[in-house]
Amino acid sequence: MKPPAARFAALAVLILVLLVVPFVSTGYILRLLTLLFTFAVMASAWNLIGGFTGYADFGVVVFFGLGGYTTGLLMLKAKAPFVAAWLAGGLVCLVFAVLMGLLLLRLRGHYFAIATLGTSFAVREVIANWPSVTGGGTGISLPIYQFPNSVFYFIMLGLLIVIVSLTRWISLNRLGFGLVAIRENEQAAGVLGVNAVRYKVTAYTVSGFFIGMVGGAYAYWITFIDPGTTFDVGITVEVVIMAVLGGAGTVAGPLVGAFILTIISEVLNGYVPSIHLTVLGIIIVTVVLLIPGGVIEYLGLKRKLSFRSIGATLAETRV
Amino acid sequence: MQILQFVIDGLLLGGVYAAVGVGFALVWGIMNIINLAHGAMIMLGAYVTFWLFKLAGVDPFASIPVAMAMLFILGWLIQRYLINYVVRAPMLITFLMTFGLELLIVDLSLNFFSADNRSVQTFYSGARLDLGGLAIPLVHLYTLMVALVLVTLLQLFLVRTRIGNAIQATSMDLDAARLVGIKISRVYALTFAISAAAAGAAGSLISVNYSINPTAGAFYTPIAFVVCVLGGLGSISGALVGGLMFGVVQSMSQAYIGPAYQNAIAFALLILVLLVRPTGILGVKTAT
Repeated sequence: MKPPAARFAALAVLILVLLVVPFVSTGYILRLLTLLFTFAVMASAWNLIGGFTGYADFGVVVFFGLGGYTTGLLMLKAKAPFVAAWLAGGLVCLVFAVLMGLLLLRLRGHYFAIATLGTSFAVREVIANWPSVTGGGTGISLPIYQFPNSVFYFIMLGLLIVIVSLTRWISLNRLGFGLVAIRENEQAAGVLGVNAVRYKVTAYTVSGFFIGMVGGAYAYWITFIDPGTTFDVGITVEVVIMAVLGGAGTVAGPLVGAFILTIISEVLNGYVPSIHLTVLGIIIVTVVLLIPGGVIEYLGLKRKLSFRSIGATLAETRV
Repeated sequence: MQILQFVIDGLLLGGVYAAVGVGFALVWGIMNIINLAHGAMIMLGAYVTFWLFKLAGVDPFASIPVAMAMLFILGWLIQRYLINYVVRAPMLITFLMTFGLELLIVDLSLNFFSADNRSVQTFYSGARLDLGGLAIPLVHLYTLMVALVLVTLLQLFLVRTRIGNAIQATSMDLDAARLVGIKISRVYALTFAISAAAAGAAGSLISVNYSINPTAGAFYTPIAFVVCVLGGLGSISGALVGGLMFGVVQSMSQAYIGPAYQNAIAFALLILVLLVRPTGILGVKTAT
């Protein structure tokens, strides 16, 4: 590990470079980076509940969609300015996450995963079948924005910096230790005085709020949302894969995962669009077999990828 | 009379759902794996039936054994060479593994079979029995019968045969099973293969009732969840009960609340059951 000062300097340089990028890069790079940040924020937010707390949340799109729809509908029907509508979207997600968390976080393991997945289907169906308010299955078009694309780049980058800093802070404080304790053994954590319900709901709410904020900004960015694409389970799974690929339960893992997966997807889409998902599927299966702990953990082990190391990894999980 | 018709429609539909859920329940109950590729395997089964019907004129119900055999082999290979290596890893890892497989199967199917909607139209597709004012579509009736036979055979296999007992023993206590000489990796491969075969049969049944395309399978994986949760996780008879119940609920909500909300109601029901009675309606606490 590098000394803290060097790491801090490297981070500062990286952020500076990212702040300058929109002024020198092409539209394509800008769009790609904005998309990358969009997913990185969601993967980091998911990481709080899925990685640190160990509750496999498969309802990412609940908040992504609710944030998007609240923002969009407020702008369209109430003629609200973007910032107000956007914050309202975040607020709706926050409240919904508290309610959902209190209800669903009593379930564990597969049950929680399925309940959150079911919620995302149920919310999608309600939105798709309530045309008088939500525009129904055909979706809604938001007002066209009158400012450059780079605004969304800065919004997503801003959200990313906030969520990563917050995750880092949480991981070093009582909340983070409590969450990890819950993941490792919820009953034991309770005995040690961790108020499991409060901790879990807090993690879930922070996660839901940030995903909702991403959803709101994303909706305005692409200016058109419909239930099918906004509540697409594929988005949920992509977010989860990013976090796990990089390393769930680590601060940097989701960023690394989002970076790798976005780049791979982009390259595959460019060169082999027809078998893009086939290759992605093979990559996922391979990664799971070879480095199930994620990239961050693998780098930390300082173990070369050899047949012996793969054998050692697999010996722990195979039958 | 009308409500009776809706119940019958629901039970007939429920046959398909029971077939969809039963293989899923087996893998879940025995290996504690949520197989996200289950829907994709169902679609493969549907395509086996479709192509045999289209190219060779084989009756869709006669092609069920072929679909089952082909999926059995595929399932065995998948478990033996992929999932067995991560079966004891945390839940998320197996989730991802099976999702990767789902992507692979669906995308390859899209390339080979195209995204067109296909359907199997036999000469008896529109035929229906008339039972004193109640209409019973013949295809739906056959479907339910096949599903019942399938579930019964699977249950008998698990309870009555030595291999079936070995499979159950593995889910009860892995180490004890190993101690009495059960080869876990083989049992797991066989379990997954049987589950895939059941998926294949479910696919065949779906192809005669609905139109199919490579991405349609994604719809059936969550259905399998709901069915398993409704009936009680991991139990074969639970999947049957859950499937039939799901069919009735869907048919009723379609009739009385409107077709638009039938899926929303299904998933709301799922969450309700999870919260109120997480062991399912049958209330079996452990796996079969």
